[in-house]
Amino acid sequence: MESVVAVPLDERRVTEPRGPDDDGERSLPALHPHRMEKRSFVAYRPPRANGSPALVEEFLEHAQFIAEDLDWLLALPHDKFWCQVVFDESLQRCLDSYLRHAPRGLDPAALPASPAVADMQKRLHRAVFMSFLRMATHKESKENFFTPTVFGEIIYNNFLFDIPKILDLCVLFGKGNSQLLHKMIENIFIQQPSYYSDLDEAVPTIMQVLNTILERCGLQQEGAAANEPLKLEARATATAMTMSQEDLVDLVLYLCDTCSTIYSFLDIFPAACATFQSHGFLSRLVSFYEMVVPDMEKAVRKRNFDDKSLQEDLWRRVSHSRRKMVEIVHLLLQHTCLQPILEGSENIQTFVEDFLQILTIFLQEKRFLADYDEQFPVADDISLLQQAFPLLDETRTSYLLQGVESAWETVGRTPPRLAPLNK
Amino acid sequence: MVPPRLTGALRSFSNVSRQDDWTSEAYDLKSKRLQRQELFSKEGLTWKKVTQFFRQHLDKAEQQTAAEQLKRILQAAKQIVGTDFGQETIESAAVFLFKTFYNKDQVGHEETRAIKQMFGPFPSSAAEASFAAIGQLAALSDEVQLEAFVRAQDSRPSLDRTPFGRNISFSYESYALDYLEGVPWACLEDGLSRDISLDF
Repeated sequence: MESVVAVPLDERRVTEPRGPDDDGERSLPALHPHRMEKRSFVAYRPPRANGSPALVEEFLEHAQFIAEDLDWLLALPHDKFWCQVVFDESLQRCLDSYLRHAPRGLDPAALPASPAVADMQKRLHRAVFMSFLRMATHKESKENFFTPTVFGEIIYNNFLFDIPKILDLCVLFGKGNSQLLHKMIENIFIQQPSYYSDLDEAVPTIMQVLNTILERCGLQQEGAAANEPLKLEARATATAMTMSQEDLVDLVLYLCDTCSTIYSFLDIFPAACATFQSHGFLSRLVSFYEMVVPDMEKAVRKRNFDDKSLQEDLWRRVSHSRRKMVEIVHLLLQHTCLQPILEGSENIQTFVEDFLQILTIFLQEKRFLADYDEQFPVADDISLLQQAFPLLDETRTSYLLQGVESAWETVGRTPPRLAPLNK
Repeated sequence: MVPPRLTGALRSFSNVSRQDDWTSEAYDLKSKRLQRQELFSKEGLTWKKVTQFFRQHLDKAEQQTAAEQLKRILQAAKQIVGTDFGQETIESAAVFLFKTFYNKDQVGHEETRAIKQMFGPFPSSAAEASFAAIGQLAALSDEVQLEAFVRAQDSRPSLDRTPFGRNISFSYESYALDYLEGVPWACLEDGLSRDISLDF
């Protein structure tokens, strides 16, 4: 029996009736705008916290349209699904609007009060994820697949995925679906290496976000990062202590979202660590931490809040951000230095030197170093390094470990390993 | 309002995403409903076929009653779609009402929502009137025959196909605040906590 060789979707043609007024047939590429169905997807609007019954009803009505349309989309055969995804701009807007506006677990009042709203939100959450998962899959079955390079071009040229969307996907879905997301993002970057260039272009903007936070806190003059000359009579800027409470809340939320988003992305897709590190992100983040954390903590503790629960929430968000920044640094160190050393990569000496150099930078940032050492003891990493690379300069490592002890002393705390046990 | 987000800054200040022109059209439910109505009108069952069914399956005495009820359904449909639309739209709305109510025993929440999804806000009296008329029509005819007729007219593509992702396990878990330490002043007595300095 003759076996049929499956043809990739991008090379396939189909024969279809011409239309209601014409009995004839026509041959079309399987991926063609004429094969898209007119559906008019509506954009997503998040549920309002403590919304009135009318607002709840409005949300449910709106969301019902999206849920039904996405269910329809996911039930389409492979070729029709891709015609819709590539050519229907209303669908792309709908999915993008969800990524932009869907409540994250970290948002204040993220949980909808009404069970009906929560159920609908869950339904949408799953349907949106499955839509992106299907869009990240270039081989759905033996018969339904793309030529990998063409798949890479399609998703990139049509902005089906872009860097902000990928980051949104990580922070929205990453907690419970990290393995699936890892596979998705890995496949996207493998099939379309231009995403690495985009990431390379996006990292300076992420670093600029850190600068913006510093500027808003009055910890850095505008343009200082770009080495612009500072004005002698620069206008007095607001600080975390003097800005309006609303601005402080916004700033803490921004910090919290920024740290959580970067962390979730690097945790799910560690291959991106090298791109971040190529911009000196690690040392930038560490000095940012050293400046912003004490300043924000002081503002949240010392300012007068009428609403104490808001004050407590802000404190937890600053603390969460601290933790995430420390974890980001650990991820970057782990994937750009430690792992290659432990795996016995070529140029092991370079990685060892990078690692020691980074730790030396940490020595200047006492507060950060103590916090980092609390979560990820530097001595453990050095000990690991000594086992993997016995030629390690002992004078240097002793100097580093002394620096860590000195950091603890400077911040007036005792390392947990040395703290007396509570009886 | 959406809180400030890193990805918002990336969309605004970097060149790695499409600069979309977001218009209110993207949220417009009116055009979405018209689109739905248009799709529904192509689904196979027409008002003509509904009237034919009752003409063919009822005896002469019952046909008079059926004609009155069909007229009531059309009137209710007119009230629901409004006066701006032509006969074709009204008849399509009547078919929608017929399909919604022919096998129901009350105007429930689901039915109300389905009508609102299709036509927007509507007078509940119109839904009640059409429900009563359709109930009377259904009572005149054989239940099995009526069911078979409605199903036979449904030309929507079969929804038997397993949707993508049905067998993929999905977690609804989301990131939560993961803080290093609790609120430092919560466990301390008044006056003590505020004096601790965190200035380094």
